[in-house]
Amino acid sequence: MPLTTLDEKPKKPQDVETTHPMEKYLRPDRLPHIWCSGCGLGTALNAYCHALDDEGFGLDDFAVVSGIGCTGRVAGYVASDSYHTTHGRAIPFATGLKLANPEMNVTVFSGDGDLFSIGGNHFIHAARRNVDLSVICVNNYTYGMTGGQVGPTTPKTARATTAPYGNFERPFNLPNLAASAGAVYVARWTSLHVRRMKKAFQKILTKKGFTFVEVISPCPTGFGRKNGQGEALDELKSYKERSVIRDGADPTKVDIKMDPDSDIVVGTFVDKEKSTYSEVKEQQLAGKV
Amino acid sequence: MVTDDMTIVFGGNAGQGIRSTGLGFIKAIARSGLFPFGRQDYRSRIRGGHNFFEIRVARKQVYSHTEGIDLLVAITEDTVTEHLDEIVEGGGVIYDDDLDVDAEEMEEKGVKPYPVPLEQIAMEEGGAKIMANTAAIGAIIGLTGFDISYIEGIIEENFAVKGDEVVKNNLDVANAGVEYVNSHGYSSNYDLEPIPESGERMVINGNQAFALGAVAGGCNFISAYPMTPSTSVLEWITKHSKELNIVTKQPESELAAVNMAIGASHVGARALVTTSGGGFSLMVEALGLSGMTETPLVIAEVSRPGPSTGLPTRTGQGDLMSIVHASQGDFPRIVLTPGTIQEAFQAGARSFNLAEKYQMPVITLSDQHLADSVRAVDPDVIDMEGAEIDRGEFLTEEELDALEEPYLRHKFTEGGVSPRAVPGHENAVYKTTGNEHTEKGDITEDPELRTKMMDKRAKKAKTALKKDIEPPVAEGPEDAEVSLVCWGSTYGAVKEALEKLEEEGVSANLCHLKDAWPLPADPVVDFLEGAEKTVIVEGNDSGEMKKLISQETGKVVDHEILKYDGRPFTPEYIVQKVEEVI
Ligand SMILES: Cc1ncc(C[n+]2csc(CCOP(=O)(O)OP(=O)(O)O)c2C)c(N)n1
Ligand code: SF4
Ligand SMILES: [Mg+2]
Repeated sequence: MPLTTLDEKPKKPQDVETTHPMEKYLRPDRLPHIWCSGCGLGTALNAYCHALDDEGFGLDDFAVVSGIGCTGRVAGYVASDSYHTTHGRAIPFATGLKLANPEMNVTVFSGDGDLFSIGGNHFIHAARRNVDLSVICVNNYTYGMTGGQVGPTTPKTARATTAPYGNFERPFNLPNLAASAGAVYVARWTSLHVRRMKKAFQKILTKKGFTFVEVISPCPTGFGRKNGQGEALDELKSYKERSVIRDGADPTKVDIKMDPDSDIVVGTFVDKEKSTYSEVKEQQLAGKV
Repeated sequence: MVTDDMTIVFGGNAGQGIRSTGLGFIKAIARSGLFPFGRQDYRSRIRGGHNFFEIRVARKQVYSHTEGIDLLVAITEDTVTEHLDEIVEGGGVIYDDDLDVDAEEMEEKGVKPYPVPLEQIAMEEGGAKIMANTAAIGAIIGLTGFDISYIEGIIEENFAVKGDEVVKNNLDVANAGVEYVNSHGYSSNYDLEPIPESGERMVINGNQAFALGAVAGGCNFISAYPMTPSTSVLEWITKHSKELNIVTKQPESELAAVNMAIGASHVGARALVTTSGGGFSLMVEALGLSGMTETPLVIAEVSRPGPSTGLPTRTGQGDLMSIVHASQGDFPRIVLTPGTIQEAFQAGARSFNLAEKYQMPVITLSDQHLADSVRAVDPDVIDMEGAEIDRGEFLTEEELDALEEPYLRHKFTEGGVSPRAVPGHENAVYKTTGNEHTEKGDITEDPELRTKMMDKRAKKAKTALKKDIEPPVAEGPEDAEVSLVCWGSTYGAVKEALEKLEEEGVSANLCHLKDAWPLPADPVVDFLEGAEKTVIVEGNDSGEMKKLISQETGKVVDHEILKYDGRPFTPEYIVQKVEEVI
């Protein structure tokens, strides 16, 4: 039996008993959140909280740093120390935190535009340095916050308010970019792969070095509707149909295309060991190299 | 009695079509010959959260919104909670009778409750809940006696692309809204009578006016990174770029955008960059490059309150100082601060001439209030053909062919402007550098040359001031009791405040700087010296224009009316503060 039928009026929020199972990691006083219904951001945040819980993180054990965008608002909903910085600068800000306080477990949670457009330079340099940061990018193929402009991950030919004739540019393949810049862990999941996403988050929360997870996520408002992807549910269905899990796949071969019949390759693509920036520095300062 | 002036507010959540409903209504108002002023108030989020669209309707041209709401259309309960106290006595609230609102509380305040089953009408007459807004428009028509044919015309146009059935459904819903109000004996104090034969009007906001001005001024290149509230300029130009033959590029950041524009301009394009304060801050280094290399550059900075991310969807005038002084080293720039649709259009067109004539950065500083507020203007205001294109000292192909001596890109001249040659001619192959340079463009550290080059660049500002910077707009009686100084979007509210002050027996005049920099010091001094009591009115907390005026003229404006809450001035607010001052 369905939980509610269509002609039954949905209950008003105050009539429903509500405690989120992950409430301890969230700021309930900041709810309801600003995200559209159908947005994939809640799913990603929820998976992140479950990952924290499974790893036994206390609120003073980790910090979340975001840039600006819909994804950037994540920092404001997490109950730990959190920082909503400027557009594109989450990674250098987080690097500063980490270098000044190496004890801090730092996650950068931000959008595709924030991390790879205006902040792209910082991303590749942090990965090259192998500074110990966990980076989560929610890739919705667009600039959600500012109304759906083209971005560095918008597939070629896709439409956006600033690509009315279809995008002329080729997008970044984020896992490939992260891997070639030096990330020690690279994975991609969609917002449909909640359990696997959570596992990947657990991994990056505990693994040393520059680790990266891309979460493909629907933005029905800014991208989906303009691109014939329908509503969020339709987009999720397309993830189900299109995604193929290929752990260990060559990151150079995981581009995402607009073609609805093309695969979205997901999985863990890189998981390797390499001394971090701080470790290298310690060794050199101790004269061991 | 025919209503002269009233304010209608549509309120609901982001994503409930508040803006498009408001815009449709504004068009209908404009076509009826009445004068609308529409103001959008929204939050930095895409869905949910209280948003409203405020529409003032008057029988003469208006320049600002005013305080007080006559009719409130509440799509959500929050709308009532947020605005009830602003509703004037005798005003009313149109709301879906399904909403949980306190009609008694309204009546106690002298506000009339007008419950209308908006969603039900939408479902029954139109077959879709989203037409509830159309039903609300019908209710407004019923309550104000406005001629429905104007709305019908808009519905037909707006929904034509969706097919005859959608058009018909919306028409039925609108009429049912009217019918409901009439058959339930609802009455109001308002009567919106059209003004016949008032000629054509153009419904337009400040960003659209600026964009059209830029196109009229020969803009053929735009590189910009999205940033509220400037984005609609980029989006509009991009959307029409194919028919207008404009190169458009949204690059990876503001740094890229501004440098692309400088590059394009260097090879002869009329290049535009649009942004808001945060993006402008990132462009500051490049501003210096434009200044040093004497490459024309046009920037539109549509500001929002800072510092940092600040209030992304709100308004403020806190970027003037930053723009006037941005970047290291002294070099001239021009800053335009339009306050009306016409001035925004002209700024768009003029910027390119100024940038090319003086070979320097030209920045138009507007703000969210001017950018998003919708008005109806005489179509002649947007004179697409009338804008003259003046490329300044620009060597033609023939002049270059005939050139005998070596080409000196930074040649010393009387007014400081060196004739420009676009790269690509064998007689004028030259170097460009951000280092200090000789007339030829070679790097130099020679102290004398350096001084001469600094003087040459500075001289251009003096030439511009003499020839092209327009004096402030002055209005009101010369012997006024109080003189208000303003700039940018604040002009509208100040202009209307003058009338209100007069009604209250206070004579006031104004001086509106639409060209802010180089500061037109002489007319400002004349104005201040002729005034009894001077007051600056600006949307920032440190009195930025007041400081610039002191700096440039040695005159100190007596009083300040400052506002930095992210909301635009209202005439009432100014009147109240002026009364406190005098
Ligand atoms: C310097 C600067 N430029 C532009 C902006 C405007 N802006 C805010 S969010 C955003 C894009 C966000 O896109 P993304 O990072 O993909 O996040 P999403 O909203 O899609 O989650 C932009 C351009 C800004 N805040 N600061
Ligand atoms: S605009 Fe897109 S990314 Fe932003 S909240 Fe809405 S669905 Fe999510
Ligand atoms: Mg995005």
